[in-house]
Amino acid sequence: MSTHNVPETFSIPVGPLHVALEEPMYFKIDVQGETVSHVDINAGHAHRGIEYLTTKRSMYQNVVLTERICSLCSNSHPQTFAMAAEKIAGIEVPERGIYLRSVADEMKRITSHLFNVALLVHLVGYETYFMHMMQVREIGQDMLESIFGNRQDIGAMCIGGVRYDLDDKSIAYIKGALAKIEAEVQDFIKTFKTNGAILRRTKGVGVLTHADAITCGVVGPVARASGVDYDVRREAPYAAYDRLPLVVHGATDGDVWSRAVVRLEEILTSIDILRACLRDLPDGPVNINDRPDIPPGQAVTRSEAPRGEVIYYLRTNDTPQPERVKWRVPTFMNWDGLRFMLQDAKVADIAMIVNSIDPCLSCTER
Amino acid sequence: MSRLPQDLEARLAAAAPAGVEFSAETDSYGVTVAWCGLAAAADLSPVAALLKELGARLSMITCTMPSAPEEEEEDEDDDDSEDGEEKAEAAPKETPKSFGGTPLDGTSYEIDYHFDIAGDALTVIAYVPQGGGIPSLTPLFRNADWHEREMMELYAVAVTGHPDPRRLFLDASVDGAVLERLVPFSTLVNAASTKGLWERLLAGKKGAA
Amino acid sequence: MNFLTIFARNLRQGPQTEAFPLGPAFTPERLRGRIEFNADHCEGCRICERVCPANAIRFAKTPDGMTFDCWHNTCVFCGNCEFYCPTDAIHQTNDWDLSHVNADKFEMVEHGLIPNQKCAECGATALNTAPVLKNAKPPLSDAEYAELRARCPKCRAKYLKNRKVPA
Repeated sequence: MSTHNVPETFSIPVGPLHVALEEPMYFKIDVQGETVSHVDINAGHAHRGIEYLTTKRSMYQNVVLTERICSLCSNSHPQTFAMAAEKIAGIEVPERGIYLRSVADEMKRITSHLFNVALLVHLVGYETYFMHMMQVREIGQDMLESIFGNRQDIGAMCIGGVRYDLDDKSIAYIKGALAKIEAEVQDFIKTFKTNGAILRRTKGVGVLTHADAITCGVVGPVARASGVDYDVRREAPYAAYDRLPLVVHGATDGDVWSRAVVRLEEILTSIDILRACLRDLPDGPVNINDRPDIPPGQAVTRSEAPRGEVIYYLRTNDTPQPERVKWRVPTFMNWDGLRFMLQDAKVADIAMIVNSIDPCLSCTER
Repeated sequence: MSRLPQDLEARLAAAAPAGVEFSAETDSYGVTVAWCGLAAAADLSPVAALLKELGARLSMITCTMPSAPEEEEEDEDDDDSEDGEEKAEAAPKETPKSFGGTPLDGTSYEIDYHFDIAGDALTVIAYVPQGGGIPSLTPLFRNADWHEREMMELYAVAVTGHPDPRRLFLDASVDGAVLERLVPFSTLVNAASTKGLWERLLAGKKGAA
Repeated sequence: MNFLTIFARNLRQGPQTEAFPLGPAFTPERLRGRIEFNADHCEGCRICERVCPANAIRFAKTPDGMTFDCWHNTCVFCGNCEFYCPTDAIHQTNDWDLSHVNADKFEMVEHGLIPNQKCAECGATALNTAPVLKNAKPPLSDAEYAELRARCPKCRAKYLKNRKVPA
């Protein structure tokens, strides 16, 4: 084969349906040899028009509709929506409900992060460990199914509180499951720091520098792994986070490895927060036991989904349906960072770098 | 203790000569949410430049088409309400106007720019009449890019100066300004719960399978 | 690398896959499954119809009374109906086995009927719904409950008002 002095640029499509991509996104990638030189992102494959649908359903129906925007961050959406509705109506959630909201949130965070890191290991090629991590995640999923009734759309939130309650039996069950998960996750972190295959394929790959992270406005573990020390639970506390042992983990390298390790460390923090919640759980009602009408008004609320900051804008008028509901999910902000991360990456690493931002396309495109 | 600068209102007013309408609320967790309505949409650029200096992060851009308020028999209080959306006119026949004079008749847009300053939220509201335009924030805030592209396909707002005004989620074959149109309910739910379906359902039950 | 330890443990424990259908499937008590409607407890308030996000529930007035239908194909199993029902007349079981052939899809309906009755006092036709007991203090005895239930809504209100006799 003849060699060229200047490598030719080919345009390869990755996606929208690709065996290595978690989510259907169409990447038009210009490559020179094995190196990526330019990325163009084409979205729209899972657009369902949910923003329009929310204006056609009442506030109480919308709590369920917002949950179905995404299944992995499914608790953050109704929680932030309910927070916005409660802010407009001046509803105060009872103390026990506040703690139970944090419990649901952290449980979802654990399973979501385990899912993402397991997929990363799968893309590295370490299939057996991927299976092992998913099995550990099953402990969390069984916990969700036993407490809430569904593995993904847990239906825990309602306007004015939560819809579920914990008794002594459930609390004992949760504590047992957490102990099992904690031991395994500590092992995962050790593996990530020592295993040659994972280190060689993920360290120094897909780097997003601190300056680029601020320019792109990325949020969540992606930002924290690039040195942007921002967590909504600490900066703009909600639910019970102002009284819980929150530790914000960060890293400075901004590569795929740092993001995975930040997520694993966040799982351990979530387990600590869960234990504190279960220990401090106050008695009392879990919700306001009422279906008040939400008066006209507008509100902006934010919460920390597993992928980062989710912000909701709710505007109500005199009717039971909201006038406008708009939300911006963390992945919406993080796609742009890919343009920097994929620069000069190898074609073989594309799927892994895309996975490292923890993409959630159904959230992005609603 | 708010993380917004103490003199924020004054600095915003200085950056927006046409006038601002500022209000802020702090909740029980100590988080402040501030609202700032702009009288002139063109003031958005200097205000955004000021916010960039303050280290703000653009969180979201929301575009709404608020419906015209219903005619009330008695006027609401004449002072500007906290949100600054409408001023009740003395003569009930005149169209109510948003802060800054844009008519509030169901055809104008209200564009909210949600910023985050170290944990506190500041929303800058610009009012744009039907057919009007708004300067793009993408040169200043790179992450405004996708928001403005989405805004342009959902509503008929012209965002001037956007470096890449392609469609974001909708195919080019779909007519624009989607959220301004009425979509029939049966189309919307893919006939999942219309009257016709229920009749078929109840009939199908009675007959043998 | 202690993966060999994990390997040895997995060999000992056997596969983690559930044995279903050759064994039971993991079905927790709180699983949100098929809808069950109890016409006896239903107040007829129709709150479930209003909060169902999928519009899967439908009440209809017929000559026999008021029918309740919930089509499981549209239902998203969210549990809103159960949560907002004041009398636990509608609830979710943990039955998840709803698979069926396409020809049977219109059969997946949970149906119920609140029958009509003649009011014991005024003779008008009314629904035999469970009475709203929130304002009844002290609680009704069984005999009083039966009398209350046999009446139409207007006569029920009258009965409860006239019942305010200090014990």
